[in-house]
Amino acid sequence: MKAAIQLERVTKTFKGKKAVDDLSLTVEPGTVLALLGPNGAGKTTTISLILGLQQPTSGTVKLLGDDPRSPKVRDRIGAMLQEISVIDNLKVGETIQLFRSYYARSLPLEQLLLISGLEKEKDKMATALSGGQQRRLGFAMAAAGDPDIIFLDEPTVGMDVTSRQLFWDTIRAMAARGKTVVLTTHYLEEADQLADRIVVIDRGQVIADGTPSEIKAGTTGRIISFTAGAGVTDAALRRLPGVTDTEWNGRRVKLYSGDTDRLIFTLVENRIDMRDIEIQSGGLEAAFQALVQPAKEA
Amino acid sequence: MNTTFKATWAQCKAELIRTIRNRRFVFFSVIMPVALFYVFASTVGDDVTVGNTSWPTYYLMSMTVYGVIGASLTTFAQRISRERVQGWTRLLRITPLPSWSYVLSKVVAQGVINVAIVLFVFIVGGLGKHIDLPASVWVESGLWIWIGGFAFMALGTLIGAMRNPDAVQVLALIVYMSLSILGGLWFPTSSMSGFMQEIAKITPTYRLGQGAWNLIAGETLDWAGIGILAAYAIVFILLSAYIMKKQDAV
Repeated sequence: MKAAIQLERVTKTFKGKKAVDDLSLTVEPGTVLALLGPNGAGKTTTISLILGLQQPTSGTVKLLGDDPRSPKVRDRIGAMLQEISVIDNLKVGETIQLFRSYYARSLPLEQLLLISGLEKEKDKMATALSGGQQRRLGFAMAAAGDPDIIFLDEPTVGMDVTSRQLFWDTIRAMAARGKTVVLTTHYLEEADQLADRIVVIDRGQVIADGTPSEIKAGTTGRIISFTAGAGVTDAALRRLPGVTDTEWNGRRVKLYSGDTDRLIFTLVENRIDMRDIEIQSGGLEAAFQALVQPAKEA
Repeated sequence: MNTTFKATWAQCKAELIRTIRNRRFVFFSVIMPVALFYVFASTVGDDVTVGNTSWPTYYLMSMTVYGVIGASLTTFAQRISRERVQGWTRLLRITPLPSWSYVLSKVVAQGVINVAIVLFVFIVGGLGKHIDLPASVWVESGLWIWIGGFAFMALGTLIGAMRNPDAVQVLALIVYMSLSILGGLWFPTSSMSGFMQEIAKITPTYRLGQGAWNLIAGETLDWAGIGILAAYAIVFILLSAYIMKKQDAV
């Protein structure tokens, strides 16, 4: 089976600065892929390159085994870009109908209104919608052609909790039908809930790639925290083997470690003065911070 | 190909609906020319003549031209600018809709709108003021204004190439008003000084009006006028294509 998305050694340079740096990525059909990364990491540029909106300085981009700009490919993809875009003097239903007309096969209007939660807004002017509603309209437009690959750049920004839930359900249903979904998000919870693969991008490069649990486990995913006695210093803790980072909050200290089981013995053996010990597994948030932080300090 | 046809048709319809719903368009391009016609046709009087045409007939042509170019310069230009700035055209580039279809739909829809404006001003003004012209002259002058109107779509596109829709609105209005006055659409060039008449001759507005005024006076179209108008259209198209290409290059 052909890869849904294939980037081979793609570099994109803007005025001498590399926004995307020798990036290779293959996405199999049916994947829900979350692209994570701090602001300015190159996520949006990567999406633009995949969509053929920008051309790589070097390397190749293939969508469904073809040039992203070919009409054949465009008939089978849909995208919701970061900037909200609606046109004036067209109603919600009319805007969706217009988009439906572009594609060889399209989803019925009723279904698109249903999955975007805009049934009541059908006869409203698109420009009169709230920000969150406009994003949902953008989603209906992206889904209009029943795409095989759908791209969602920060899809749930400005959506309320109910809309977000509906949106997640829709994404899961699409994935269940074998569609490929690529989303960028700031909400790590969203990536954790939806994605079966997470790619972390920083400075235009892939710095981590795996399932959400792999990402969480592979990094400094676990934390030991305790209240330290008066004699305990940060330097002493950092000297201990297995401690990757420390974080102080008054006398409460958090130790980040790849192997907390071993670290707890080390702490006891070194007679560290500890009270109220807790061992917790870090969420995706902690993993993400750990991945991105060192790269920034370097 | 079937999909492309279907999409282009839907695109044309959407453009038409959007224009008709636009209040600014209805005011500037439909109500204002007719209102101005009634005001000035009545205050100046029916017995005044320009050359050998009666004033109301002359002024009806002026105001039809005024309405047609207004539609292309104000709403058309601003919409092009806004759609590019707001990322609408960027969004369309991801869809299978070919870019020629987008452009064609805009031109076709504006063409239909222009036919409607010509008919509306001709009928409301012509019937209301009992303007008597042979049927062939009605058709010829209407057709001339309609065809010449495409040059102003090109000018509208050029203005719309600017990236700031608010600035486009102001600039479009300035260009619209000054070209209308300089080209003798508001007051005939024969009432201008010799110097102003020379300036009028190089404006596209005068050249579009001139064709219609010639036709109602029983004369033929002026080849120099057609040439100047066509040259303007070509320059506008080339310039706007060049500017937009440059802006989009990444």
